[in-house]
Amino acid sequence: MKYELVSGFETHIELSTRTKIFCNCTTQFGGEPNTHCCPVCIGLPGTLPVLNREVVRYAIKAGLAVHGEIAEIAKMDRKNYCYPDLSKAYQISQLYAPLIIGGYVELSNGRRIRLHHIHIEEDAGKLIHQHGDTYVDYNRGGVPLIEIVSEPDIRSIDEAKEYVERLQQVMRYIGISDCKMQEGSMRCDVNISVRPEGSEKFGTRTEIKNMNSIANIAKAMEYEYDRQVDLIESGGKVIQETLRYDDATGTTSPMRSKEDAHDYRYFRDPDLVTINVPREEVERLRAELPELPMDKCRRYVNELEIPEKDALLLTKYRRISEYFDEAIKGVKSPKTVSNFIIGQMFRRTETESDKELFELATSPAQLNELVRLLDSGKIRNNLAKSTLEKMLDSGKGALEFISESDMGGVDENALLELCRKAIEGNPKAVEDYKNGKEKAIKSLVGNVMKNSRGKADAMAAEAKIKELIG
Amino acid sequence: MVTREDVENIALLSKLFVPEEELDSLTQSMQEIINFADEINKADADEEGFDNINNLSNVFHEDEVVESYPVEEILKNAPEQAEDHFLVRNRE
Repeated sequence: MKYELVSGFETHIELSTRTKIFCNCTTQFGGEPNTHCCPVCIGLPGTLPVLNREVVRYAIKAGLAVHGEIAEIAKMDRKNYCYPDLSKAYQISQLYAPLIIGGYVELSNGRRIRLHHIHIEEDAGKLIHQHGDTYVDYNRGGVPLIEIVSEPDIRSIDEAKEYVERLQQVMRYIGISDCKMQEGSMRCDVNISVRPEGSEKFGTRTEIKNMNSIANIAKAMEYEYDRQVDLIESGGKVIQETLRYDDATGTTSPMRSKEDAHDYRYFRDPDLVTINVPREEVERLRAELPELPMDKCRRYVNELEIPEKDALLLTKYRRISEYFDEAIKGVKSPKTVSNFIIGQMFRRTETESDKELFELATSPAQLNELVRLLDSGKIRNNLAKSTLEKMLDSGKGALEFISESDMGGVDENALLELCRKAIEGNPKAVEDYKNGKEKAIKSLVGNVMKNSRGKADAMAAEAKIKELIG
Repeated sequence: MVTREDVENIALLSKLFVPEEELDSLTQSMQEIINFADEINKADADEEGFDNINNLSNVFHEDEVVESYPVEEILKNAPEQAEDHFLVRNRE
């Protein structure tokens, strides 16, 4: 029998506000243990948490970016559980009246992964387990999080990967989080079940906690899918339980029940007052949002005639798309700009974080100038390419490397002359070509290009040489 | 029903020392508190009326960093500490 995977995600994202959610301690990552703490965030009795205004704004922006509805009234609740990562023995979160309701994330296959809601809450402290004892650092305790809870709409591992990537991308675009999975500023709990293909009823699900890389999410889901299918095929039953993924062995295993207490005895936190969200505030925040990656991608394809594959690359990181937007101003062919960025510029920004920053010696205005020279026919593509290399090396403008005499290209007669010279000077290549060695023509064209100092049109030169050799 | 063991357990979790001779009277007091809470629970309290009795909303702090406390101050009340961390011993 064939089985279908059904999955939903709970994604925690640390907001990049300056201060914690209920006090004015810094949210800076790292720091010496327990140095970013105060009586509020270590939960001493008698302290009063006060909500960070910016947390509400960031969360609303996140909600708007994923098409959610912003609640008019939201409240904070206490989620009770006893574990050393929580000093108060409860986490301040939202259950009954979350800030954002609904929404969706659209995937490239056109499917929409619906969201149930998004709520705000505080992060827990960091535990270091050593020789059976636990060392607790509360620097991260009280750092603001949003938790994005999806519906079980994900149907494959590829969809799961894209869902996480899309969230990461859009949250970075709107600047509310750096979403660094390796630093824990984005983490996922993965709910997964299987059912016979065509069946409407959901199977029993398991939950894999705290996944901190997309690669591991894929591996864990693959393992868990196989495990559940094997179990059902052999007559067994999937038990609803919480699992941990072990990267070293590539397997999932059940968590101890202590870490998996499901009776959280939620109730309204009496320390925190109601949050009212005026509609004008929502509209003001909506106006602050940049153009979102999916919209940008569509615009590039539909209006600028950029191939979709390239549009996806250009919009993956906000800075690259902004660089592109800036560099195409007034140019005839945005595709040319795109080619320069994806080709020569991507070669100089190899890693993900290089692309994230996209810091190059050449400014968008300088690339724009170069492309305009190309547009106006003053220089040829190969000269533009080599000039761009020099620009990227030095940070200087195109005109530093291109002289008046380089511009204007090569006219018919000059090209004919250059081709004749190339043929006369390279009898061996001509001979090879005549004997069927197609590639030999390239060295003749190369000779033309060299003697024209890159000004000749390589395609025209090749045609002319073929014509002359016959 | 509150038991002596419940009180001992709560005392342990609250880091309170309760002398043996006070256990019975405390157990009784605790039971009375629970009874009182049960009485309150009987009241018909719809969400609207009781949810926000002080009528406050939108009390916020601004997103400006204030210096945190020195680590010694933070760890001052920790029952055990090591290497600037709170230390939780394994009781198993």
